[in-house]
Amino acid sequence: MRTLFILATFLFSVSGISQTKYEQGMQKAFDLWKNEKPMEAANLFERIAQAETDNWLPLYYVAKINIIYSFGEKDATKFSAQLEKARDFINDATAISKDNPEILILDALWYTAWIAYDGQKYGMTYSGKVTSLYEKAIQLAPKNPRVVLGKAEWEMEAAQYFGKPITPYCKDVARALSLFATFKPESDFHPNDGEGRAKELLNNSCRKK
Amino acid sequence: MKSLTTLLRSKLFFLFLIIISETITAQNIISGIVTQKNGAPIAGANVYLEGTYDGTSTASNGSFVFETSENGVQTLTVSFVSFEPFLMAADVSHLTNLTIVLRDDVNSLDTVVLSAGTFEASDNSKVSVLKPLDVVTTAGAVGDFIGALQTLPGTSTVSEDGRLFVRGGDALETQIFIDGIRVFTPYTPSTNNIPSRGRYSPFLFDGITFSTGGYSAEYGQALSSVLLLNTIDEPDQEKTEVSIMSVGAGIGNTQKWDKSSLSVNASYINLAPYNEVFSDRNQWHKPFETLSGETVFRKKFDNGLLKIYNAFDTTNFELTQQDINTPEGVRFQLKNTNFYSNASYTGSLSDSWKLMGGASYTYSKSKFDIEEQAIKDVENSAHLKLKLRKRFSNRIKLQLGGEQFITKFNENFNGPDVTEGYGVQNNISVLFSEADFIFSKKFASKVGVRAEYSALFDAVTIAPRISLAYKTGRDSQVSLAYGDFYQQPDMGVLKFESDLQAQNTKHFIANYQYVANNRIFRAEAYRKEYNDLVRFDTPTETFNSNYTNGGDGYAQGIDFFWRDNQSLKEIDYWISYSFLDSQRQYRNYPIKATPSFANTHNVSVVAKYWIEDWKSQVGFSYQYGSGRTYTNPNQLGFLQERTKGYNSLSLNWAYLISQQQILYASVNNVLGFKNINGYQYADTPNTTGDFARQTLRPAADQFFFVGFFWTISEDRSDNQLDNL
Repeated sequence: MRTLFILATFLFSVSGISQTKYEQGMQKAFDLWKNEKPMEAANLFERIAQAETDNWLPLYYVAKINIIYSFGEKDATKFSAQLEKARDFINDATAISKDNPEILILDALWYTAWIAYDGQKYGMTYSGKVTSLYEKAIQLAPKNPRVVLGKAEWEMEAAQYFGKPITPYCKDVARALSLFATFKPESDFHPNDGEGRAKELLNNSCRKK
Repeated sequence: MKSLTTLLRSKLFFLFLIIISETITAQNIISGIVTQKNGAPIAGANVYLEGTYDGTSTASNGSFVFETSENGVQTLTVSFVSFEPFLMAADVSHLTNLTIVLRDDVNSLDTVVLSAGTFEASDNSKVSVLKPLDVVTTAGAVGDFIGALQTLPGTSTVSEDGRLFVRGGDALETQIFIDGIRVFTPYTPSTNNIPSRGRYSPFLFDGITFSTGGYSAEYGQALSSVLLLNTIDEPDQEKTEVSIMSVGAGIGNTQKWDKSSLSVNASYINLAPYNEVFSDRNQWHKPFETLSGETVFRKKFDNGLLKIYNAFDTTNFELTQQDINTPEGVRFQLKNTNFYSNASYTGSLSDSWKLMGGASYTYSKSKFDIEEQAIKDVENSAHLKLKLRKRFSNRIKLQLGGEQFITKFNENFNGPDVTEGYGVQNNISVLFSEADFIFSKKFASKVGVRAEYSALFDAVTIAPRISLAYKTGRDSQVSLAYGDFYQQPDMGVLKFESDLQAQNTKHFIANYQYVANNRIFRAEAYRKEYNDLVRFDTPTETFNSNYTNGGDGYAQGIDFFWRDNQSLKEIDYWISYSFLDSQRQYRNYPIKATPSFANTHNVSVVAKYWIEDWKSQVGFSYQYGSGRTYTNPNQLGFLQERTKGYNSLSLNWAYLISQQQILYASVNNVLGFKNINGYQYADTPNTTGDFARQTLRPAADQFFFVGFFWTISEDRSDNQLDNL
């Protein structure tokens, strides 16, 4: 009986391994990212994406890494090439999963990257775009903490810029934080970040007078 | 039981063996190195077998190695940003010690661009000389997109006219297109010494390409220049915009649906209150009044985009202007109604075929009353266009197209003694084709040809165009362009005489461009040769003049442009200088002479300073034009004298009251330079045998403007800065 059990476990784990090539890959990509190898992680996500043609998540992460690491990039050629790449992956992800609030706010982040790069050039033209993406996301997912946080932070930046009080948006950040507490991602690999950022905003920007 | 266990154990062992052996036999090692064309290794490239999880990233020396359990023929893919992806199908067992050389992706930002003659104002172009916002925030332009373009090199300062005069060409030699479709009446009507403005509101456009020569075979009927305006594909959000100005008011609204959107705006301008406060040199009976409205409808399809743009405006005014020949002045009245409709569709037919089609229709009716004479003009024009674009690869593209221009013009002239009516129908059929070759990131070329058939002249013209660009360094490049350009004589001539032929120019252009770190430097030398210009033997065009195509001329010069958004904090500035040498014999010129619109030196300096603490943008623009020619009948010669130079310094200030409210003020010619546009001489000499003259001054030396712009949108972040 014991042997049978071992056998069963063994067989199960063998089949388990073969079924979760995806999980293994995703896990490895997240590990690379955690270990400060974002571009290798992006490459792995890209490889997973081309093997898993109906899954938006790896596409989403390729775009996300390219956008996040474009912030602060000064080389115009590199910056725009990286963002153009992210744009392709956002488009591909959107084609698989329409009206997905997580992709919409990533899209908003893409435009924000351009504004951060050259506010004078892109600020006026892209800020409306960012706002409308957050609007759409919040309508689809009013209780998604990342959507609430992203929108609040964007509005906070705008208010700060115009010397307006940011208190109303701090309330939104606090609400996002409480939503994080109960938020359950669909799987281990679905987006689940942002809680730290919310705390940071509450402890820093919102404390300042 | 024991035997079963043994059996199972052996089976388990067997299973193990199978798995292990399978892994051993199936593991293939794939290895190699990825480099650029010059042998430099590429680190971080993504290398994998297509459709599998097997792959890796290249190390810092470009090398890669990974294992795969795949067998047989597989596709190895190598990709890296700014390079073309590499694909190779082979048996996995052969995929070892590979040397893979990636080709530059010619779509990337640092690829050479065909820049001879062309200035772009857009967010998407590789080299943008102006930003879309510049068009509306340039001091002195007062919201007129034409005004902002007049700060670019290659344009002449003809301040009393307001239209674009490019490289020794007159205003009619520049054609304007919206979404690739011709605009027949782009300027608001005006009269002597009062500048006209662009008819269309600048905030509808997000891309402007201004070519001062050597442009694509897609565009014709322009001897000197084309201005291409693209309307916004998709508005950001629903909003209502209100503007209250010292000269009128406007309102606009944008609605968005899932796949479509509609923008509507209307404005009313009346200069009566302004003229009450600041009187000018004209005696106004009916101050300038205009009512205009525009709509843009956009609809997205799965593979394409449809845009329908409509504009309507009506203008009227009446005034008396000083005239040396008429002591009591000349009374002039104008009423104009203009309707323009433009529909265009762009879409992809397949991965490599793209289609663009469109049509425009213009109806323009003008009534002029000059003293005892009444003139009524009606113009009906249409433009139909269809273009196909085939992409053979990233490096070779071909476009083919056809278009048809239809213009019907009628004029009625009612004088004290004469009543005349004349009209002309001018149809032109066109075929054009153009190929783009990007040989490498460093070298590109465009070759095109345009054939036009004029039904009126029953004649065909063939116009070849070619341009080349070569990258001389990381940030610099040279471009060359040559082209033949044909244009029909204008309606002022054709209405009296149609036994003529198209006028011709040849452009030769050499351009150097340096772009780095938010700084742009351009230098462009050119030579333009004019042939077959229309001449006539009376002071102005009349029905009994004799017309020929016997005129010719040239224009040559060099243009410089420098823009710097980096060196000075929060200051963005540009400087343009143009040197122009031009002479021509056309119209009623008895000899070859420099036309009054072709002044030798033109300088523009524009600066914008963003003051964070004041939430304000302060703009400054200085314009200099050297003296313009005029004929002094008291001396021997023709266009033999020059006025003094033109100077103007303009300031503007935009203050963001809140995210949605902007207060804007501007003053043109702050320092009050007394500019002279020219002189008008008496038709007959006085008793001492001298021709008396009067100085042609601008109607007013200065212009003041104050406006308040308010945007109401759901999310409160949009504003009308781009509306100024």
